[in-house]
Amino acid sequence: MIRRMFNALPGPTPVRVVLAVIITVVAFVALMFVYDWMGSNLLDSGGAFS
Amino acid sequence: MSNLLTERTEPVASAAQRDGLLVRIIRFSGWLSIWLGLFLLGFVVHQLFLTTFLAQQNNTVLQAEAEVYFTQVTVNEVPYAPPGAPELTDPDDVPLPPAVLLVEEPPQPGEAFAIIRIPSLDRLKNGWTVVEGVSRSNLKNGVGHMPSTPLPGQPGNSVMSGHRTTFGAPFHEFDELQPGDIIGDETAIGIHIYEVRETIIVRPTEFWVTGPRDGAWLTLTTCHPKFSARQRLVIFAELVGGPNAAVISG
Repeated sequence: MIRRMFNALPGPTPVRVVLAVIITVVAFVALMFVYDWMGSNLLDSGGAFS
Repeated sequence: MSNLLTERTEPVASAAQRDGLLVRIIRFSGWLSIWLGLFLLGFVVHQLFLTTFLAQQNNTVLQAEAEVYFTQVTVNEVPYAPPGAPELTDPDDVPLPPAVLLVEEPPQPGEAFAIIRIPSLDRLKNGWTVVEGVSRSNLKNGVGHMPSTPLPGQPGNSVMSGHRTTFGAPFHEFDELQPGDIIGDETAIGIHIYEVRETIIVRPTEFWVTGPRDGAWLTLTTCHPKFSARQRLVIFAELVGGPNAAVISG
């Protein structure tokens, strides 16, 4: 599946590698934001009254 | 002949299509389960381990910053008369010199300005740094002071909030606190000693717990139950010792 997604990227292999790295970093940062939001709203907001 | 072939092959083809669709659904469900499992595993690792690791690293740095802050902040002496103190009405009465309260400059948002210690709790017996503010980013360090309330050791109700299960979980064991337990709060003025008076559980909308109080109080708030932000566990502690205790109590 990951190989198919990589092959679906446009351009020659070096360009695909760069694109794959950029997409991975963006996805990782987005995932951290999602985890942060989920943690603050569902698990532990810090206990403040504000 | 050709009609006969068509009649025979159509059911075979639709069965193959149906089987193919079933296989695709099963395969999709399998992948979805794997990715969902990885997502949830990542969430648990992020919340329970990564945030705690980062908060502990931050706390070490902030504790050093707080100790520098103690030596640099200006502390003033302010005349103070506790509410309800008797007024002198007889002109022959010799006025006593006014009591003096030690007051420090308010810290900047995000600044580490205090260290809280609770000897009866493992996580807090060595101290946890308190920063100014209770925003989401402030509380990533573990414990924050609500800026609209007095600083520790001052008259009124000083409110601090902290995480219970993530970001180092400094308030993890708060359900074990009992009336009479001691809380130490070190600031630039000195170490203020509070004694736990009451523990209550309220909804997050019950703002009255952060309201003003007579005397000097420390109100500590955290999430309740563990691993949920549904309610708040609130600890009320009264100032019983420290540089300002005698002045405030009159």
